[in-house]
Amino acid sequence: MSKSTSSSLSTRRTLLKGAALGAAGLAGAPWLVRPAAAAVSQITFNRESAYVPLFDKHIREVMVPAYQKQTGIRLNYETDAAGGGAVPHLISIAQSRGPIDVAWVQAEAVYRDALLDVSDIGEAVGKAQGGWHEEVLRLSVWNGKWKSVPFGNIGQIMVYRRDWFEEAGIKDFPDTWEEFYEAGVKLKRKGHPFGMSMGHGFADNNSWLQPLMWSYGSQAVAADGKTITLDSQETAKSIDYVRKLYKDACIDDCVGWLDIHNNKAFLTSQISCTNNATSILISAKRDLPEMAKVIDHAENPRGPKGRFHALVPVNHGIFAHTPDPAATKAFLRWFMEAKNVGPLYAAGDMYYAPFLKGYDASPEWKKEPRFLPCQRLLTTGKLPLWPAPTDVKAGQVYATFLIADMFARACTGTSTRQVIADTVEQLKKIYAGA
Amino acid sequence: MTPGAEITSAAPPALAGVRRRRPKFRARDWLERESVFSWVLLAPPLLFLLLFLGYPFVYGLFLSFFHMEVAREPTFVGLGNFVRLWGDAIFWKAVRNTAEFTVLACLLKMIGGLGMALVMNQNFRLKALSRALLLLPFVVPTVLSTVAWQWILDPGMGLINRLLVVSGLATTGPSWLGNPTLAMLSIILVNTWRGLPFFGISILAGLQTVPTELYDAASIDGAGTWARFRHVTLPLLMPVILIVTTFSIIFTFFDFQLVYVLTGGGPANETHLMATYAFALSMGGGQLGLGSAAALAMMPALALVLVLLTLYVRRA
Amino acid sequence: MVGELTWQRRLFGLWLPLLVLTVFCLLPFVWMVITSLKPNAELYDPKAFPLAIRHPSLEHYIGLLKETNFLLWTANTMLVAVIATAISLILGTLLAYPLARLRFPGAALLAMTVGAAYLVPQTLLFVPMVDLVNRLHLGNTLSAVVLTYPTLLVPFCAWLLLGYFKTVPKELEEAALIDGASRWCAMTRVVLPLCVPGFISAGIFAFTLAQNEFLYALLFLTRSDIRTVSIGVVGELIRGDAFYWGQLMAAAFLGLVPVVAIYMFFVKYYVAGLTSGSVKG
Repeated sequence: MSKSTSSSLSTRRTLLKGAALGAAGLAGAPWLVRPAAAAVSQITFNRESAYVPLFDKHIREVMVPAYQKQTGIRLNYETDAAGGGAVPHLISIAQSRGPIDVAWVQAEAVYRDALLDVSDIGEAVGKAQGGWHEEVLRLSVWNGKWKSVPFGNIGQIMVYRRDWFEEAGIKDFPDTWEEFYEAGVKLKRKGHPFGMSMGHGFADNNSWLQPLMWSYGSQAVAADGKTITLDSQETAKSIDYVRKLYKDACIDDCVGWLDIHNNKAFLTSQISCTNNATSILISAKRDLPEMAKVIDHAENPRGPKGRFHALVPVNHGIFAHTPDPAATKAFLRWFMEAKNVGPLYAAGDMYYAPFLKGYDASPEWKKEPRFLPCQRLLTTGKLPLWPAPTDVKAGQVYATFLIADMFARACTGTSTRQVIADTVEQLKKIYAGA
Repeated sequence: MTPGAEITSAAPPALAGVRRRRPKFRARDWLERESVFSWVLLAPPLLFLLLFLGYPFVYGLFLSFFHMEVAREPTFVGLGNFVRLWGDAIFWKAVRNTAEFTVLACLLKMIGGLGMALVMNQNFRLKALSRALLLLPFVVPTVLSTVAWQWILDPGMGLINRLLVVSGLATTGPSWLGNPTLAMLSIILVNTWRGLPFFGISILAGLQTVPTELYDAASIDGAGTWARFRHVTLPLLMPVILIVTTFSIIFTFFDFQLVYVLTGGGPANETHLMATYAFALSMGGGQLGLGSAAALAMMPALALVLVLLTLYVRRA
Repeated sequence: MVGELTWQRRLFGLWLPLLVLTVFCLLPFVWMVITSLKPNAELYDPKAFPLAIRHPSLEHYIGLLKETNFLLWTANTMLVAVIATAISLILGTLLAYPLARLRFPGAALLAMTVGAAYLVPQTLLFVPMVDLVNRLHLGNTLSAVVLTYPTLLVPFCAWLLLGYFKTVPKELEEAALIDGASRWCAMTRVVLPLCVPGFISAGIFAFTLAQNEFLYALLFLTRSDIRTVSIGVVGELIRGDAFYWGQLMAAAFLGLVPVVAIYMFFVKYYVAGLTSGSVKG
């Protein structure tokens, strides 16, 4: 917490002293208390539990021991659920200077001020491994300083059943949103609707709704981070499109779906297409080998203004309150060295597509050609709420699901004009805020 | 470990001291004064609550008057956060949802719990086993049971829709989490499932304190089953029903996990509750001041519900 | 209930409602158990009926026990819940006893303040609570939750106990005092033993809430080896957008075993205590 915060909360300090005394008495059982060890001897590293279990296993069983052996520093590797507790946990850590040193800084825009400047690492890693794909730097680099080091993108793409598409007479995945709609109508008639998530999830909703908006030329907020540009013909068109797609081509349930629901529906053969990460194919390969053969991936369809994708970036950052910044930075630098991070990308089956251009032609990509759309979207992918800056306000828009809800409400009976007006009002409140 | 043993071993230090100084009757007499003894007993819990509830509460209260983002300096905005919430359509939606959710879920639990207690109070084989088994929903961690409900409410694969289809009641079941009305009903259903046993067992405990002589007397007076229930059982059960209902209102009102795991507040905020919305504002959007204000707003709302309940009970 | 029961009465008054209740309460558990025994391929099979099971397998149980710290999480949960319950019962008794049975200055004000404590939402508290816990350097220790859970539990324990304390006739206590017992003796030897059912119901209540708590555990316990069941499974069996359904359900079922054992014991005790409590009514 900053200096002036603590001075303005002076009463709090006195209260805290009392609390400390009381707690010292109450927490008398020493076997329960694990005091923070001396600064340098340990680093706590927090990430999401990776979808590909081998990824976490590689960190736990290869990287952690290697680093400990090399430096003598104990490395605690902790995992959280990305869609569950990770963001609240990271926010609470950032706010109260809690016991995490380096982490996947999910939703970093919201607590960027608590992160350490890691410009030297970001620049050095980029230089050594072919440079960075640019878009993610709008998130990592803030006011000229790197606040996080990009790691990889969770590719959000169209996942579909090739067999059912072919049965319906569709040889190639639809190229435009209109063709996508037509395909959906045919497939729904055959009992294989699409399932496009629009609920309060953390990725699968915006990962197709935002690209759809962009490809119709609709943008919620302008690049200046002030002007609300949502109220436009283009937005209205994209909403009308989604309403029609939902009604004629989708399963009813998808309007309330979280990120798990489309995986579940796809794997239980209830839907023929959804927008998701590669996790569906990976699950199918493990549990449903027959289905895995007929699953395919495609890039998002294009609209009048082109083809877009949404990035779900995974960046690593260091909390400024880490007891020994130099040691923590040394760890992150080591972590991102080609000889360490390369095998890690591979261990995760490129599930995290490297933002480093040096991996664009990696042989790892050839192992599963169906993952290639995830590699290609690194160039067409935009950050959430593009072209608006990735500031706290954008973070708020996402946390309150304004975009997904705009479409979901339109699908459940509210008029296009009304949902745009209501969303604009909400955006105005956020962007007018102090 | 029986609760009784805990209590005896919990002698406050002050009283241990008294035993040692037993010859000095003055100290003992002083302690025996009703008010002194009361405050000696009260001191440890009050101190604890002051530190771990009072301090965070005051801090939270303080936050709600500030514009505060994560790891940034707070700026005083007076009632600004509350004014913003007052004009926030999502907030009002959450208020309405919370009211609907709380009232319906508590009513269902109260009626169902009373029924459960009346059934469980009879003599039948496997009574003990049934009692233990019917408690299960209350026991299993909400996160895990809610994960199970994700499947039970699944449109195509879910137990409910499968049973509807198999029994011929429907050709395809409805969308439990996608339809705005059904989504609210679903969270009410899951909350009821979870809370029913608590009502059941508490009312059962109350039932067992009803002296059988009263029934006998009523029977002699020629009262039927319904009359006995209405005029003997129910009045005697009122205190326990009231306590359990009040508890349940509070916990249902603050319910968080269920919605957080099952719907995240969707579709389109149809199941967003005040607790989940406050959480989304502060722990998702990093608006710690605004989130605190939204959480604080729950207190008068809940107080209102409880006051209305008390007034209703007084009148009845 | 008294009175001669015909079979119709027995059917509509007992067996039918019992059947409905049992199905409603237990069907989700049946589903959980079956899912935990099904290979994933069968779980995902759209043709399979949810309650049918063709190839039972223990793979999810083995996976749960081998790949996660599940047993440790269960032990942590029990430890935390028992200690937090004990603290809450003790503090709740100390708070409720004077309010129920003694006259002292400030009683009305105190009752109101405690009443207000029920209304404090957890969502308001966690930002300050996280701050408090981290300043006390309790982050990532079980103490963090053992100390914070009672803030949720004490007011409710006190409230539940209050009702029970009030039911003990004043004369019993007065007789003890006249016989020369101290107030402490009258309380611990005469009144409290008559309220054992009250302790059990408050204890069951507190224990259930404590072992089910999610938010504080989520924010305070992040190391895998000190997590509770709820947090552990969310942190390690929910991977991105893919749930390890079978293992989650195996965890739900296995996690129930110790809790149900504790309940079985206390529910029996609870009922026995009630039926023998002759002073009540």
